[in-house]
Amino acid sequence: MIKQLSVFVQNEIGSLANVTSVLKDNMINLRAIASFDTPEFAILRIVVDQPEKAKEVLNAGGFAVKVTEAVAVELEDKPGELDGMFRVIADAKLGVNYIYSIVLRNGKVPLMIVNTEDLTKTASVLKEHGYIVAEQEDVNA
Amino acid sequence: MIWNETKECMSRDEIHKLQSVRLSKMVDRVYHNVEFYRKKMQQMGLEPGDIVSIDDLKKLPFTTKNDLRDNYPFGLFAVPQSEVVRIHASSGTTGKATVVGYTRKDIDLWQECVARVLAMAGVGPQDKIQVAYGYGLFTGGLGLHYGAENLGATVIPMSSGNTQKLITMMQDFGVTAIACTPSYLLHIAETLEEAGQINNIQLKAAICGAEPWTENMRKEIEAKLHLKAYDIYGLSEILGPGVAADCEYHKGLHVYEDHFVPEIINPDTLEPCKEGEVGELVFTTLTKEALPLFRYRTKDLTSITYDKCECGRTLARIDRFKGRSDDMLIIRGVNVFPSQVETALLEIAETSPHYMLIVDRINNLDTLEVQVEVEERFFSDEIRQLESLTKKIAHVLQSALGLSVKVKLVEPKTIQRSEGKAKRVIDNRKLI
Ligand SMILES: [Zn+2]
Repeated sequence: MIKQLSVFVQNEIGSLANVTSVLKDNMINLRAIASFDTPEFAILRIVVDQPEKAKEVLNAGGFAVKVTEAVAVELEDKPGELDGMFRVIADAKLGVNYIYSIVLRNGKVPLMIVNTEDLTKTASVLKEHGYIVAEQEDVNA
Repeated sequence: MIWNETKECMSRDEIHKLQSVRLSKMVDRVYHNVEFYRKKMQQMGLEPGDIVSIDDLKKLPFTTKNDLRDNYPFGLFAVPQSEVVRIHASSGTTGKATVVGYTRKDIDLWQECVARVLAMAGVGPQDKIQVAYGYGLFTGGLGLHYGAENLGATVIPMSSGNTQKLITMMQDFGVTAIACTPSYLLHIAETLEEAGQINNIQLKAAICGAEPWTENMRKEIEAKLHLKAYDIYGLSEILGPGVAADCEYHKGLHVYEDHFVPEIINPDTLEPCKEGEVGELVFTTLTKEALPLFRYRTKDLTSITYDKCECGRTLARIDRFKGRSDDMLIIRGVNVFPSQVETALLEIAETSPHYMLIVDRINNLDTLEVQVEVEERFFSDEIRQLESLTKKIAHVLQSALGLSVKVKLVEPKTIQRSEGKAKRVIDNRKLI
């Protein structure tokens, strides 16, 4: 599994840029970003090459950050791949909370990041069905 | 019309005499019936016989809201409970309510004062009046209700809340007077405007109070609704609405000095201010039976004049309020202390003590937003959890304040920290 950072941000002009500028200033590379908003606030979810350092510098910048595990699945670029993955998860009676993706991986296949109520079980059923679940090293490089 | 010309137009000499007689009787009664004041007077070496004239008033001890709280609920009552016919209460700073009581005679006095206010606003037995203050523990609804009945007007006890029903009845009944907060009246005016019904009403007078308002708001209300708007003042500790009100000249609020003695003091030195000088308003009740109070500090800042008014009344007039000497806010008629918010937030484990109150007036209705910082140790990755935290905070604050509150979660450390007294309130209502 990989590490994902969830950052609390207010729904205000410039609030996303405040996060990304802290990362840029510390030479941290973003691999994936997704924002889930409500009228008042948003949770910004990011995958980076240096999760521990990212949390440290974001905390220093005054942000509330939660580091959680995330299941990242390698998907080939062909029809039905995503559908197959969702079926495996649904058959295991797991509900998907959210997904987002890492597309650009220097020639490697894209990664789909998927969150459910049981990440360990999700990772294992996917592996059982032949899917490759990425580890943090895979996104660091 | 002057409801009680004998009392409202006495010469200053007669007022002095009447107040002196009433004060010395009152002090004697309180000394023998209220342990709190007896002890205070004894500590000061003061005996009831030392108070013979209203000029001796300054010898008496002050009373504060804390004293009422410390003697919660009935410790300051000067009559046996069997003589108390009514209780009212307002929310206090630490969750405990400020409780006030009335004897039958106190209720009579109250309805006399409110009748004077209404008569001063040109309301009479021929009028139909909607009372749109909240009914219940709050003194606004029942206070105006009994006063209007005493006057002989036809009272429609709307209470607060249902604007549509209020407007329907206003039109169907041919209502001629209304009592409510000024901001609510503006809201009613806008609702009427939107419905194209603003010229389809027969209102001629509005008696507005329970929150601070400006001369500009009066002008706006009068222009929109084609009526005369009057200012009514009161506080439950002293009586409820009807302690003072303004006449058609709007040159300050006449205080019913035959029942309540106003003083203006410097809130820091507690020394009396000169006539016309702004300070804290202090009241002594002269006739109240259940809850007589010496020199109650209202925390309201104003000035006073004793000049005879053009309307013919000789009663002293207090000026429009200039603010508060404490941090109390009045939001939709509800008294709110920032410390109440703090206490309530402390009860919720997931919140930090950093908060900010943003008060605003949107479409003429006061709004309260409470900003609370998200703490990382309670921050969850789930939106659902943050939303339920928002709801939980709103619920706790609503029950603590008696007021609906909009809660906004903000990023950590975005609320200003300060070395001294933290700034907890941003009041965007333009009142002065
Ligand atoms: Zn007058």
